[in-house]
Amino acid sequence: MRDVAIIGVGMIPFGRRDEDSLMDLLAYASLKALDDAGLGDKSVNAVYVGNMGGGIIQHQTAIASSLVDRLSLLPAAAETVENGPASGGSAVKNGLLAVASGYYDYVLVVGGEKMREVTGWKATDFVSTMTHPEVEYPYGVTLPGMAGMFTRLYMEKYGVTREHLTAVAIKNQDMGALNPYAHVEMSISREGILDSPHSVVNNPPVADPLHLYDACPVSDGAAAVILCPLEIAKKTGKPPVLIAGFGQATDTHTLQERDDPTDLKAVSLAAKQAFEMAKLKPADIHVAELHDAFTILEIAESEHVGFFKKGEGAIAALAGKTKLGGQIPINVSGGLKARGHPVGATGVAQVVEITFQLRHELPKNRQVKGAENGLTVNFGGFGNNVLAFVLRRVQQ
Amino acid sequence: MMSINIVAYKCKKCGRVHFPFHDRCLACKSREFEEIAPKGNAKLLTYTTIFNLPWGFDQRFLIIGIAEFENGVKAMGQVDAQSVEGLKLGMKVRPNWASVRQQHGEDIYGLKFEPIE
Ligand SMILES: [Zn+2]
Repeated sequence: MRDVAIIGVGMIPFGRRDEDSLMDLLAYASLKALDDAGLGDKSVNAVYVGNMGGGIIQHQTAIASSLVDRLSLLPAAAETVENGPASGGSAVKNGLLAVASGYYDYVLVVGGEKMREVTGWKATDFVSTMTHPEVEYPYGVTLPGMAGMFTRLYMEKYGVTREHLTAVAIKNQDMGALNPYAHVEMSISREGILDSPHSVVNNPPVADPLHLYDACPVSDGAAAVILCPLEIAKKTGKPPVLIAGFGQATDTHTLQERDDPTDLKAVSLAAKQAFEMAKLKPADIHVAELHDAFTILEIAESEHVGFFKKGEGAIAALAGKTKLGGQIPINVSGGLKARGHPVGATGVAQVVEITFQLRHELPKNRQVKGAENGLTVNFGGFGNNVLAFVLRRVQQ
Repeated sequence: MMSINIVAYKCKKCGRVHFPFHDRCLACKSREFEEIAPKGNAKLLTYTTIFNLPWGFDQRFLIIGIAEFENGVKAMGQVDAQSVEGLKLGMKVRPNWASVRQQHGEDIYGLKFEPIE
């Protein structure tokens, strides 16, 4: 197996992008990554596209074949990777293995989604198609609904309160306000969403005990990376970022069949594999992008990957330990909560953000000073398919 | 009253109860199951009110929960309540088989848990 590095990244601002088609989003992010890698007019050997909803929302399939044609990357190998909200992470994994195996030298991985093309009702239904078709979907359960049931149990077991969740929401929106790629660029106050009488109106429940500001927005967006062998990457202009570790694990489709539904086994396992491969420990990580589709998930994942003991993630968040400058800065990008969650794009966007961090190229108010190692967690389904990557800055 | 039309699967080798169906036992990988019906009342394991409903539901909100029957079958269903105010983790619920949504003008039946005080 060869060491694989990221030599180019590209992302377009997430949000509501009415003027752009899904193919536009994928193409713009890809071109930025190709340019960032300094590939100029050169081609890549293979393309992996992470996308969940093209077939349902855009009524378009075989998206990767269409993209290579549009980008004049022919005759590169190409395929679309669909793995729910972990499609982006899965696309990165496919690119990683393809280069590591020695089969391809240059691979483009791009994740994208255009969800605002349909009404909120339809978008909610689209995301719900990943629930069990016979024993969950017919009841009208949604992903916020799954998260609400999970949160109720997590609160009961570990004493997590709305105050803890609110701390995560405020942190991520504060950081999103500094990120030009973020969907939501607006800070919020604790008073506005928790303490004042207005908070009842400002921050209504979406799936109790979760409220509006606990959930990520529905977004359009795309993000891309270019991968190549580390040996080649060392000769490029930018500090190469090594994909030092990778892990992926699955869990039962339904929450009800987990012995302890508060135990996100796939998160723990994916992170453990990634740390072992990278020969690093949670304490060696300087910056992390966790999959905070809901505030509770940032807290739960921060425990399951090993940053904090079970039950202490909420306390750490409230104490500011996960802020920029804290013990372990989490979601300095604003996370899914503020950057947005175009489902197929998210896993790639997390890797792009960590690459920015490890290249030390972000403005001071966003940069984790001297960051050498980063972690990403891309959470599919309700934790039934999870990917983790450990990235490391390499000296040229 | 309509009977509960669900089938759960008990592993013939190790006894683990599955719902929904799996081709191999989640615990021991055996492929032989005894079909069992959920028995008795149920215990509400968790619940939530969903306010942003998916396309296909013409109502303001929906209460959903997961409950465990007396013989260990665990299943999701709708909760027959006007709000979560009176609900508690671990409370007893009576399972009913009732319309849970409509599709093309037809009722789709499923589990509806009725809180018992
Ligand atoms: Zn068995």
